[in-house]
Amino acid sequence: MNAIGVLVRKEAGEVLMSGRGLTWLLALSGMLSVFTLLLVSNTELSLLDNAQVVYDMVGLVTALGALLALILGADSVAGERERGTLVPLLLTPLSRGQILAGKLGGLLIAWGVMYVLALPYLWAVGSTGQNMTDAMVVLAVLGTPVVLAFAFFGMGLGAVLGSLRSTLLTGLVVLILSASPLLLGPSLRQATVGRAFDAVNPFSGALNAYDAVIIDSQTLIAQAGHWLTILAWTGLALWFAVHGFKRVSR
Amino acid sequence: MLIDMQHVQLSLNDAPVLRDVSLSLGEGEIYGLLGPNGAGKSTTIAVVLGLLSPDAGQVQVLGQDPLVQPVAVHRQVGVLPEQNGFYGWMTGSDYLAFFARLYGRPHDAEAMRALMAQVGLAPRDGQRIATYSRGMAQRLGLARALVPQPRLLILDEPTNGLDPRGRREIHDVLIELSTRHGVGILLCTHLLDDVDRLCQRIGIMVEGRSVVEGGLSELIRSGHSAARFRVRLREAPPADTRRPTGVSFIRSEGEWWIADVDPSTQPEQAWRELLFLGWPIVEVVRAGGGLEDLYLSITEQRTAA
Repeated sequence: MNAIGVLVRKEAGEVLMSGRGLTWLLALSGMLSVFTLLLVSNTELSLLDNAQVVYDMVGLVTALGALLALILGADSVAGERERGTLVPLLLTPLSRGQILAGKLGGLLIAWGVMYVLALPYLWAVGSTGQNMTDAMVVLAVLGTPVVLAFAFFGMGLGAVLGSLRSTLLTGLVVLILSASPLLLGPSLRQATVGRAFDAVNPFSGALNAYDAVIIDSQTLIAQAGHWLTILAWTGLALWFAVHGFKRVSR
Repeated sequence: MLIDMQHVQLSLNDAPVLRDVSLSLGEGEIYGLLGPNGAGKSTTIAVVLGLLSPDAGQVQVLGQDPLVQPVAVHRQVGVLPEQNGFYGWMTGSDYLAFFARLYGRPHDAEAMRALMAQVGLAPRDGQRIATYSRGMAQRLGLARALVPQPRLLILDEPTNGLDPRGRREIHDVLIELSTRHGVGILLCTHLLDDVDRLCQRIGIMVEGRSVVEGGLSELIRSGHSAARFRVRLREAPPADTRRPTGVSFIRSEGEWWIADVDPSTQPEQAWRELLFLGWPIVEVVRAGGGLEDLYLSITEQRTAA
């Protein structure tokens, strides 16, 4: 196993095998269970149709994934720095890029676990409809870069701010702001401000693509505009993480 | 030369931290880097390791610039940093194997056991690092520093948290590494006993400047502070007022006399001359003027200046 693989294994082990990791998995299962119960109740009462609940579930998993990525990204730099475990890593014969790649690999495994964990819940709310496969694909294809963007952002912010608390506070504010389309009503989203926000917001890009694919049954290829918005933000966040991580000295 | 650092200057957030630091360390040498808190010792180490880029001056580590070739330098350097954290959920053996893999070194159980034995670490089977005592954690940090089989070891307070026996064991490990394996060791510590026992050369930093660098015994002898001794006499000294040069008696306390010996004078020679002059010397005990006095006098002078 090469050095990056060794680091990926360590990072994934830290997320999935430590007490913290187990707590996170339990909390995630609890949240998905509650949300599933609410959505299934709505479907049974015919308040929401099947496609709508699948869309809501996919949006929630993306938001939770972004939250997870932000926390893990921040912890992997600012947290490790505060715990004194980052410097020994920086002093190994690995380049900064390799260390960042290793940390990202561990984070992607955590997202993978979360994705797999979300599938039974997605099935529970959407098994009677025709859009389950589309939902799973669009979540993987567009949800992953959104999660990556927040992971990079957490890492970069952790490198620049140094303190885990400051990083998490700042990161959560940004996450809430960018996830606000989930909270905006349709009329506000149709207003000029809402449209402008939608056009540049990676979260909106993902949600609009989910909407088009899951509810309107459009193809994924047709979502190129949303895809580009998301990838542009992911690229920008990657640049921020790489440049921030280069500045970490102790 | 393992470390060759010349006139390094560095400012952090526009505040000068290193004003003029020079340091050189050869193979098989143990070098003690001393200085008061905030003198810039840890920053100096960060510069040596290529973690910080100096504003001016030259740094070569193992013949390479640590900023240009950090990976090549890190491959041959073992470090025990000041702030030393561990992955508490791992066992000590897993932890060392993790770093051994990163360095591309053997990481089988046998190799890890040997490494732990070298630093006197004997955890229970399956014991997680989170449950280690401070001394055990310190030994684990030292074992990690030895993973790359380094040519250069940089240790920041390596005997922190160790009991006297533990300290002695770590001293023995370091002496063996330097004498038998030619490892150069940069030791950053506040424990002057450690420096006295281990180091051939020292450097003292005050407010970001190297103010003294040289061989430990030469520095103590040459010009920085007089050595103070307590001399016990069997009876009153002779009436003859002649004294060896460089020796001055300060006062008497019963049968004990307090004497200062200039750095330029060999104390053993002075006692022989006094005996020749008829001084009834029974016992001589060093009462100061060693490394501690040297350190205190230099740091006080410079801080006052």
